[in-house]
Order: sequence, then C-alpha cells, then structure tokens
Amino acid sequence: MSEMKKNNYLNDALKKRAEEKENEAAESAGEVKLDDLSRVKVLSPARKVFKRFMRNRLAVFGAYVLIAMFLFAFAGPLFYPYGQKQVFNKYDTQNINYAQAKKLASYTGYPVGDEVDVPSSVNNMMNSYIKSMIEAGEETKDVVAEGAAYSIKRIEDGVYSLSAAESEEICTAGVSEIKAGVFSRGSKSFEAAEGVELPEGLDAYLAENGLSGQSGEFEFGGVKFNYSRSANEKTKLDVFTHYEGVVYAGSSLGEEFEKAVLTAIEKGESALSFDGTDYLIANDGDSSRVFSTGEFKTAKVFTSLVLDKHDQESDFTDEMRVGALLAAGGEGVFSVGGKDYSVEKVDEYLIVKDSDGKEIAEFSPLSIRRQSGQDTIEYDLKRSIASAIEEMDEKGVKTATIVHDIPLQDSETGQQMLDEEGNVIVNSTEMLITRTDTGVYNVTCDQVLYLIDRYAPPSATHILGTDGDGFDVFARIMYGGRISLLVGFVVIFLEIIIGVILGGLAGFYGKWVDMIIMRLVDIFYCIPSMPILIIFGVLMDYQRLNPYLRLFVMMAILGLLGWAGVARMVRGQILSLREQEFMTAAEATGIKTSTRIFKHLIPNVMPQLIVIATMGIGGVIITESTLSFLGLGVKHPLATWGTMINSVSSQQAVKMYPYIWIPVGLLICITVVAFNFVGDGLRDAYDPRSKK
Amino acid sequence: MLKYTIKRLLYSVLILFFVMFIIYVLMYNMPAGYIETKAMELANKQNSTRSFDEWLKFLNAQYGMDKGPFIGYFTWLGNVFRGNLGDSWKWTQPVTEVFKDAIWYSFALGLVSFIFEIIIAIPLGIKAAKNQYGVVDYSASAFAMICISMPTFFLATLLKYIFAVKLKWFDISGMQGKFYDQLSPFMQFLDVAKHFILPSVTLIIISIGGLMRYTRTNMLEVLNADYIRTARAKGVPEKKVISHHAFRNTLIPLITTLGGSLPGLFSGALITETLFAIRGIGFRSYESMVVGDIPFTMFYLAFISILTLLGNLIADLLYAAVDPRVRLS
Repeated sequence: MSEMKKNNYLNDALKKRAEEKENEAAESAGEVKLDDLSRVKVLSPARKVFKRFMRNRLAVFGAYVLIAMFLFAFAGPLFYPYGQKQVFNKYDTQNINYAQAKKLASYTGYPVGDEVDVPSSVNNMMNSYIKSMIEAGEETKDVVAEGAAYSIKRIEDGVYSLSAAESEEICTAGVSEIKAGVFSRGSKSFEAAEGVELPEGLDAYLAENGLSGQSGEFEFGGVKFNYSRSANEKTKLDVFTHYEGVVYAGSSLGEEFEKAVLTAIEKGESALSFDGTDYLIANDGDSSRVFSTGEFKTAKVFTSLVLDKHDQESDFTDEMRVGALLAAGGEGVFSVGGKDYSVEKVDEYLIVKDSDGKEIAEFSPLSIRRQSGQDTIEYDLKRSIASAIEEMDEKGVKTATIVHDIPLQDSETGQQMLDEEGNVIVNSTEMLITRTDTGVYNVTCDQVLYLIDRYAPPSATHILGTDGDGFDVFARIMYGGRISLLVGFVVIFLEIIIGVILGGLAGFYGKWVDMIIMRLVDIFYCIPSMPILIIFGVLMDYQRLNPYLRLFVMMAILGLLGWAGVARMVRGQILSLREQEFMTAAEATGIKTSTRIFKHLIPNVMPQLIVIATMGIGGVIITESTLSFLGLGVKHPLATWGTMINSVSSQQAVKMYPYIWIPVGLLICITVVAFNFVGDGLRDAYDPRSKK
Repeated sequence: MLKYTIKRLLYSVLILFFVMFIIYVLMYNMPAGYIETKAMELANKQNSTRSFDEWLKFLNAQYGMDKGPFIGYFTWLGNVFRGNLGDSWKWTQPVTEVFKDAIWYSFALGLVSFIFEIIIAIPLGIKAAKNQYGVVDYSASAFAMICISMPTFFLATLLKYIFAVKLKWFDISGMQGKFYDQLSPFMQFLDVAKHFILPSVTLIIISIGGLMRYTRTNMLEVLNADYIRTARAKGVPEKKVISHHAFRNTLIPLITTLGGSLPGLFSGALITETLFAIRGIGFRSYESMVVGDIPFTMFYLAFISILTLLGNLIADLLYAAVDPRVRLS
C-alpha cells in the first residue's frame, strides 16, 4: 500500500518534470540528455500487473474471448433483428380432407308448430314408410300407431309431410282371429270362451287327441283352429279360431256401416266417410282395421334435401325452412314473420326467394359439408362442387378437379387468417373430388396453413434455426448469455460481500468472533450445494414463482451457499496482514477500526479477491446452467444457456436437434474456460513468485 | 494426534448437527406434496380404516411433521439414533435397503473413475511441469482447463450423441442391454460394465483437469526447490532427479488430497448417474429430491455430509502422517 502511494507520488512528480522538460526540449529542438528524467519510467503496481498479464498468452486469449462474449450477449441483440420472445411462423400446405358430399338417403323431420307431438316410434319409422311409398309409387300413406292415425303425404321429391289425428279403433273387418278357448294339458279339458260359436264335440275331440307342441294348427268340423301356449300359464294352450265379418271393438254401428266398410275395403280405399264421420281403414293383410279419426293436422315435414344458404351469415330459421318445404308442393308462396317468400323447383333443387325475387337459399339433394360435418362452406364453393359432381355422374368418371379460393388457416387457433383490412386471406387452391364406392364424394385439397415455425433447421434467416417455441435460437443464445453472465456476476458479488464482511470480522477480531464465524464457514462448507439447489428448485416449482422473481431467489441462494470459501481466504489473508508492521503503524496512529479494516486491510486482499471472483464466475455459470438444464433453475420464457439445452434434452430431441444444443454447450464451455484463463493469468500476474 | 482427532471428530459432529438442521428445515418447508399424495393413496385403498384427514395426521405425526421444525428435527434425530431411518416414499422400501441396492453401483463408478483419473492426470501433470512453457505444458494446461470448464450435463450429452447416437457403440442410457436376462452371469457382468463406460468417461474427463493442474503446480514448486538444484548440481541423472527427488516430494500434497477424496467415492455422481440412468445413489437421491421424499433425501444428505467431513479429516490427518514436518495441534 505504502509502496503504491509512494510510486504514485513519484510518478506525478516525474510527469511534472517531464512536461517541463518537454517544453524545454521543444525549445532546444529535441535534444535528449542521458540524465533526462523522462527516460526513467517507474511503473505503478497496476501497470506492472497489466504488463505481466499481457505476457500470458492463454490469459490474453481468455480476455479477448470474454470481451467478445460480452459484446455478443449485451451489444449483439441491439444489432440482431429478432427478439428473444419473437415467435416465427411459416406457411405450410397440408393435404386435408376439406369436404364431403353425398346424397342423403335419410329423411330429417322438422316440426310444424308445436301443437302435435309425434311419438319417437313414428319418427323412427318415417324413413321406412317413405321408402315403401317411393317403392310403391304412392302419394299418401296412412299409418296407425300408438293410438293415433297418421297420414304421410308426398309434397315434392324428397319432401313429405306427416299429419296426425287422434283416432279410435271401431272395428276389424274381414278375417279376424278370435279366441276360442283355453286347453289345459294336464286335465286335457277344453274351456270354451264366451260368445263364440264352436262346432259340436270339440271338447271331446281335444280330450281324445290332445294338442302337442308349443303351437300348431288343427282342423275340426270344417273350422280351422290354431293354438299357442298361454302367456300366463305354461300348462295351458290358447286356442284361436277365425272369424270372417266385422268385429267391433266397442258397440255395434249397424249393418249399414258394415256394408259401407266392406265395400270400401273391396275397393281398396283407405278412407271412408259415413254418417258425417271420417273413418280410416288400415289394411293389414286378411283383415282391415277401421278407425274413426278426428281432424288431421300437419305435424312434421320430412325431407332429404339439404338447406344451403347463399349467405352463410344470413338467418334462415326453422320456421322458414318448414314454410318453404310445405309450400313447395303447392302454390310456392309462404310467409314467415310478416315477410313473403317464394319457393320454386328447378331441376332437383328448391330455390327460395325473398319478396324482391332475390335468391336467398336453396334446398339441394346433395349435402356438402366440411369433413367435421359443419356447414361452413360458402355457397359458391358448394355450387361448383355440386356442378362438378353432376358432370362426373354424367360422364361416369370417378374424379374431377376444381379450382377455388380457400381461406388461409391459422393452425394454432383454427381461425381463418385476416389481412390488415380484416378480409379473409384466400389462396386459389386446386381441389380434387373423388367418388368412393359408397357413393360419397370426398373433396381433398392442399390447404395453406399458417403455423409456428418449430425446430426449423439452420438457414439464412435463422442462423441456428428455431426452437420448440418458434423462437430464433441465435437470438435466444444472446439473451441467454446476458442472463447467464449476469447471474455469474451477481452471485459472485454477493459471495464476495458476505465473504469479505464475515471473513474480515473473523480475521480482524479473532477469539470468539473468529470461532463462531469459522464454525459457520465449516457448516456452509459442508452443506452439499447441488442437492440443496435441487431441493430449492423443486420448492420453487411448487410455489409457482414468477420466472423473474425465481431468478433473483436463485441468485441469492447461490450466493448464500458460496461465500464460505471467500470468507476463509479473506480471514487467512487478514490474519497474516494483521501482524505486519504497517498495521501496527496504523493502530499506533490511532486510525479507527473501520478505516483500518476497509482502507488498509481489504485493499491488500483485493488481488486474491479479484482472482477468486474471476475463477468463481465460471463455476457459477456451470452451476446455474446445470440447474436450468435439470429444469430447476431459470424458467421459460427467460432464456439462459442451461434452459436452452434443457428444451432439447429428451432423447429424441438430442438426436434431432444437435444444431441447438451443441453451439449452446460450446458457448458455456468457452465462456467458463475464458474466465478460468483470465483468473489464472491474473493470479500469476499478481503473484509472480508462483510462476518463475 | 489422538487428541486432535477426537477434537476434530467432535467438531464434525457439531457441524453435522447444524448442517442437518438447516437441511431439515428446508425439507420441512417442502409443501408436503408427497405426504398428501400418500395419504390420499392410503385413504383410497379399499380396506382403508381411516379417512384422508386421519391418514394425513398419522403420516405427519409419524414423520414428526406436525410439531414444527425443531421438535420434528429431534424426532428425526431420535429415530436415526434408534437405527430407524424410515421408509423411502419414492421407492417404498426402507431407506437402508435402497441404499444397499444403490451404493455399490456408485462406488464402482467412482472407483473406476478415480483410478483412471490418477493414472492419466498425475503423469500428465508431471510431464507438463517438466516442460514448463513447452508445447506439452500449454496443451495440457489448455486441456485441463477445458475439462474443468466442461459442464457435466453437456459433456454427458455430447458423449451420448457421439458414441450412442452416431456411432451406436453404446446404449444411450440405462444399466442393462435388451437381452440382459438371456446372458450368462459373466456376460451379464460385461454387459453392465459396458453400460458403465460412458458415465465413467464423463466422470474421468470432468475430474482429470483439477488433479492435473494440482500435480503440475506442486511439481513445479518442488522442481524449484533448493534440494533439486543441489541434486542436479551433484550430477544426478535427470530421470533420477524427477522420479526420486521431485516426485516423492510432490506425493505429499497429492496423497493428502487423494486420501481426502476417498470417502467421496461413495457419494455418487448426481448429474452423471441421472443422465445415464445408472441406478446408483446419486440417481436415486435425485429422483427422491424431485418428489420431496424426505426420509431418503435426509438420509442421503446426511450421508454425503458425513463423507465430506470425513474427507476433510482424513486429508488433515494424512498431511501430518505423510509429512513429518507437520505437527498437528
């Protein structure tokens, strides 16, 4: 210390003298004398150290690497066009099943108003009813089910209405099966039912012959009988006979009615009007059942046609749909919500127009939907697909191609991409229509997708490619370097502060202070730091700390775990310095304790501190990157070199993306090597005795 | 000497007590994810006699987690003194069983690396010192520095990439090959040995640099000593100077440090074992720490703390034993 000051004074004096001399020399035209003081140069200790340092080639190399690394990490991002959290995207085409077209064979029912409920059994049967009507070429069909009469009427091709009326069974006409009696197998006795005429001697016949099996037929006295096991008792058989004529369910309606019914059945009519009441005749093979019916009301309209709106956004209510379908067979006009519409049949299509005569929608026999079943295809595309399919069918070919604009899709959100003005961006895309054996037309195309550019290999735009989040690896390396270097510096600074204070106290005061502090040092020396850091990492994972806060906590912990070495070194140095004369002199001059420590002792420990710090930064960087590599250090989205390697540390990723982790790993290595070289060089420069 | 040893041992016990206390407080503050999961698991068992809350209470009481860190720590200590180290939560086995399963793998790995480290680093260090500022010295120093600066995880990944992925000489990780069960016992041993090659190489490279530099520095110091100059002046052949006079004196610090690192052979290599899935104590403890397995983690940390203290003690005692100039007090 004292020597240094002396040197400084000497240097100042020399400088002054040299300046004076220079002035003189300028006057006397550059004459240099042997006793010229400017020829003698006294180097300050710092310059000496610097000179010695510069002689060490490895150290100089390390210093250059460090300068380059700092420029790279701290200044580099200023000149690099990409940020650390900038996500890169790319356009890619993907062959997708865009749409599917098929002619619907099934009919879907839409309720007309909500007055009449149609039971689900009838709904479920509608498809087969309509099918049978089409096969038989019938215009109407009457059905009785669940105590009600239904009438199905064809309105138009593919459009059928279902009307319902309350009904009551009146009678059965024609051949009907009636119960003749019950035969007990055990006693072989026959018990005739009441009110049935049976041939004489039937009981005797049955008692003699019996009846075999679960069911069967026999003939006696010119009358045919059949029997089957009674539902209630296993040993008994129900015996049925047949009766031709009218059997009433309720009370008789008289001969006139019966006659009318039989004539109607003979004619094959299914409806009958008698005495001001409507009757419905349901033919059931040999017999017909006659129902009285109330008023028929249209309950539902069934259609196999598919509604295609011209404008996807427009509102086409179910009410309008029903109105249009019902009107299709008639005058072709309907009104919903006070507005008039018209329906017109063109080829197989039903075109719906509004009151201005503008086409607003159409019912098409061809269902064209997205593969998911959603109706999001615009009308134009539907039309061109439909006409392409028509053409295909005409020519009898199985494939066709059309060209149409397809919106650009963002594969992350599934939304259509909009340009700056909010219009959908479209690409003219060739679409392939293929007819499958099942009569379904598949529409496939190469849709352009907008997606995150993940794991792009190195290229001109991304020097080291992109990572799994679509971030530019090179930019991340720069920003990662910032944090890694910063962590190193902050942690070492903390370690030095704690170490110097505690080590200084221990060394200066000795005795019990020394004793306590040194035991503390022993404890911290003994604590296994890597496991502790891992445990802390897990702890912070549980707490879900914010990444920035987490970074600070991690630095604090690293500093707390690392100060013991510094303290031990400082204490040792101070113990030996304390005994030197200059300290005795300082004490004798009455300088206060704090000044003695911080002005006289600590500066003398500075060289060792600088060396320890330089070498220590490398160690801290390794520890930090190891922790981050394990996923327990700095967290995404903050980048450090360790996290970057961690993001590609799975076995698959290690194989696939060496261009991410190898440069990062090398960078860590080079930085740490450089710190160590510089530290080594500094130590040798400060203490030349160690390097003779 | 005996007095010194006893004093040091007592200090060590004191230090260990505080170290374990700090670690216990840390573990105590783990948000007990594991106890809760365990209680849930036990409560959901079909023949469970207690509800979740009761199980939680029971488990907390069993591990002394319900009385605050101080009493909890003493509960743990009491259990340890009674030889009851508890059951590992992660491995669902007594801690000592897990330890017995794992420790020999770690020891084998440590021993192999230790032997190779000595074989490679010491001659290299001596050679570098002999040719100070020569090509060998510079390249050896640079190599040593790179070894020191290499993060273990990067080196391990690099070795895996080169030798397992690209050259396909070894499996990427694990201790046994696919057909381990069909091999004869001797071939099984060879199979496991083969799987130990990459982890050993990793450990050797990582540790070689430090020892090499240490050897070099000490050798240089010795070579500059007066008695070496005297020996040379007397005309002793250079070979004899190095092997007889210089190397023997270099051995003093070397034996001290190497002796001190002997207990460390048992401590396991946390990162290397984890990355290569070697089921040694390091890998086991990593898995335990990550899930907050208090019994095993406490045991492992106590174990390596003891090893560290033991290492320091051995180093100090050896120092006195090897060098008669040193007197311990």
